[in-house]
Amino acid sequence: MLIQTLVTGLAIGGIYALMAVGYSLVFSILNFSNFAYGSIIMLGAYVGYYLLMKAGLPLAVSVAGSVMGAAFLCYLNERMAYSTLRKRNAASLYFMISAMGTAIFLENLVYATIGSRFYAFPEIITQQNITFWGASIGVLDVFAIVFSFTAIYMLHYFLQHSRVGIAIRAASYDMQVCQLNGVNITRLVGWVFLLAGALAGLSGMFLGMKYMVYPTMGWITNKAYIAAVIGGLGSLPGAVVGGLILGVLETLVSTYVSSVIRDVFSFSLLVVLLLVLPTGLFGKYLEEKV
Amino acid sequence: MLSYISGIITFSLIYVIAAVGLAIFTGFTGLFSLGHAAFFAIGAYTAGILTYFYDVNFWLALASGGAMSGLVGILIGYPTLKAKLRSDYFAIATLGFGEAVRVLLENLEITQGARGLPGIPAETTLPVAAGVTVIVLWVARNFVHSRYGRAAVAVREDFVAAEMMGINLFQVRLLSLVFSAICGGVAGGLFAHYVSFIQPSMFTSYLSTQLTASVVAGGMGSITGPAVATVIFIAIPEVLRVASMWRLVAYGLLLVAIMVFRPQGLLGFRELSWAGVKRWLTLGKAAGQGRG
Amino acid sequence: MDILRLEAVTKRFGGIVACKDISFGIPEGRIMGLIGPNGAGKTTIFNLITGVYSLTAGRIYFRGADITRLRPDELVALGIARTFQNIRLFRNLTVLDNVRIAVDRNLPYSFGAALARLPSVLSKERAVYRQATEYLAALGLSGRAGDRADSLPYGLQRKLEIARALALKPKLLLLDEPAAGMNPEESAELARLIRRIHGEFGLTTLLIEHHMDVVMELCEQIYVLNFGVKLAEGDAETVQGNPDVLRAYLGEGYKRAGN
Repeated sequence: MLIQTLVTGLAIGGIYALMAVGYSLVFSILNFSNFAYGSIIMLGAYVGYYLLMKAGLPLAVSVAGSVMGAAFLCYLNERMAYSTLRKRNAASLYFMISAMGTAIFLENLVYATIGSRFYAFPEIITQQNITFWGASIGVLDVFAIVFSFTAIYMLHYFLQHSRVGIAIRAASYDMQVCQLNGVNITRLVGWVFLLAGALAGLSGMFLGMKYMVYPTMGWITNKAYIAAVIGGLGSLPGAVVGGLILGVLETLVSTYVSSVIRDVFSFSLLVVLLLVLPTGLFGKYLEEKV
Repeated sequence: MLSYISGIITFSLIYVIAAVGLAIFTGFTGLFSLGHAAFFAIGAYTAGILTYFYDVNFWLALASGGAMSGLVGILIGYPTLKAKLRSDYFAIATLGFGEAVRVLLENLEITQGARGLPGIPAETTLPVAAGVTVIVLWVARNFVHSRYGRAAVAVREDFVAAEMMGINLFQVRLLSLVFSAICGGVAGGLFAHYVSFIQPSMFTSYLSTQLTASVVAGGMGSITGPAVATVIFIAIPEVLRVASMWRLVAYGLLLVAIMVFRPQGLLGFRELSWAGVKRWLTLGKAAGQGRG
Repeated sequence: MDILRLEAVTKRFGGIVACKDISFGIPEGRIMGLIGPNGAGKTTIFNLITGVYSLTAGRIYFRGADITRLRPDELVALGIARTFQNIRLFRNLTVLDNVRIAVDRNLPYSFGAALARLPSVLSKERAVYRQATEYLAALGLSGRAGDRADSLPYGLQRKLEIARALALKPKLLLLDEPAAGMNPEESAELARLIRRIHGEFGLTTLLIEHHMDVVMELCEQIYVLNFGVKLAEGDAETVQGNPDVLRAYLGEGYKRAGN
């Protein structure tokens, strides 16, 4: 029972980590909370579902399609909702409002056109179990863990070794200096949103398989935001650790205490953490540069 | 017909009260909340429970609703605003807060869960709503034209410089949160005694969105702007009976469009006044471009 | 007696040492200069004194009391005010309102009174208005009271920042490159202005400045920083004659050229 719970917790935690990393990536560059991220995740799941079930493509191709589709949508989101604000040097409040507007728009557009129906992936994908040390473990959970960590590692490798990745890391320290050094900021920001969108597509696919596909499924990104705060806003390792901690703790609470208080629990965790450790585990953004 | 119109006006005024509170918080102090519906809900349930179960006087219940919201505002504001954190932390906390309040309302015994409270006395009439609105607008105006209002604006403009002006960041942000929470609570109390039946599903993010859209479209740093925008957003779709789903699609698009094309909103950093209206009527659209 | 004392003050940002082991004191009533090449850590020291950053190590004393862990607004209440290198006015507000926000600190009234707009509030508001206009007059900004702060020319924006800082009734005034971007005549005029307000308002002044004529004209005492560490300290002549200082400012070439 405990092993099973832990595996489920890690799987959920892995998905949280994916989302939190995508969100933190944008935060570390543009310094605002991209509340539209959840709706990109939701659209990614719809794209994946459509490719698999309606277009009849193989699962792997559908996942790839979902990743690419979400990456493109995330890029488009930046071009349409944030780029003007960025050039105007607007305060983060305006970015947040624009992001929230995007989320409301996309979510309700899906409601109004596709409808509020819940779409489930076939059981052959979602209900497979293997027995391991006497515990029955979902294959989907194992896949979620493996894919999350592979994706996060690939991102890490990209940021450490590619030219664009290094420029992104530099810009997260000081955008202005980076610009003075001849980096094309618009292209850089485009890359960041493509990467964040790719992670959104992957997490949307897993969320869809685990909990079904529906217009408000993107709200689960609330958990990613909380995970990012636990780890320290803007810190990528923090986002990973925060996501895992939140996923495991939540699963333990809903298994051993009550699933109803799960959401209240994550909120209380956030509040307590802000009181005790306001910068999160790996926080670096407490002191504003003057 | 007359009662239909007075109903729409009453309804609009209730939302105006909540929107004015949010205008102080977002438009003047520059903080962003994603869960303001929760304060509305707390006010509605507190006032509703008091009159429904305990036959408390309506006005006392209304005040208690506001007070309870303000108290909860302090509870959530303290940890999220105390340490000199970026405002993002607060916005994220309000997301969780809105969810947590909804879960509690659905599961507490006193709120009767998803069934809600049917048959709350219908005490909110048009004169009642109008009276409260006038009081709230007056108090909000006093706030804005006081040292506390100036401090709030300073914090919004540049909180580092504001602190160097001797302004206590935490105090100003918390006061403004509590003020807007109380407004939200009072509006919720009026709402509960207008519709006579409340349930948790009435206080979702849809409501928060509507309020935020009103404040942003009405204009940052303005009280009358958001008040006018609220009436437009509540009354016009109500009269035209626009499908609510497409209404939300439009809200979302509107928020983005305003941020991209006209971030100051309808009346950014200005107030509606008779002199201003006259000038606008005589000069046509040119005056509308003014400052901002 | 020193009005302000820094003792072994150190600030690190991650692995970067912004300033290390800085100790100095400012005698009450003096004008002291803080100079050094770009990136020497001068503004960091201002941010540490005014509580914008927290110290990594060391202590700061103001009039004998330890102020190391106080918030910016608490330090303002004790009598420390500053201006910013990259002007930080409230740009969307009027010139008058910028100063009013500072004056507000001297004429407090309660939140409840403010919401009810009691008669006492109205009389305080009138006093705030009066005082604010006086500070604007003292800096020659009276004619621009109703203009938006960001519509002022650069030089006047710097003056408005000084007016705002003075309105806090400080005992210690920190000026961060007040003459930046000014031509020689403008900076000479600014030096006279600083000298005048220094006397008129009974201040102790700490000045960061790149215009050496301004520094030499005003400062009785100078502290030189380079790469976050102290390079030299003393009066204008001592500092000017110090070979380390010349090297830091003119580069390594100085040594060969000098010898």
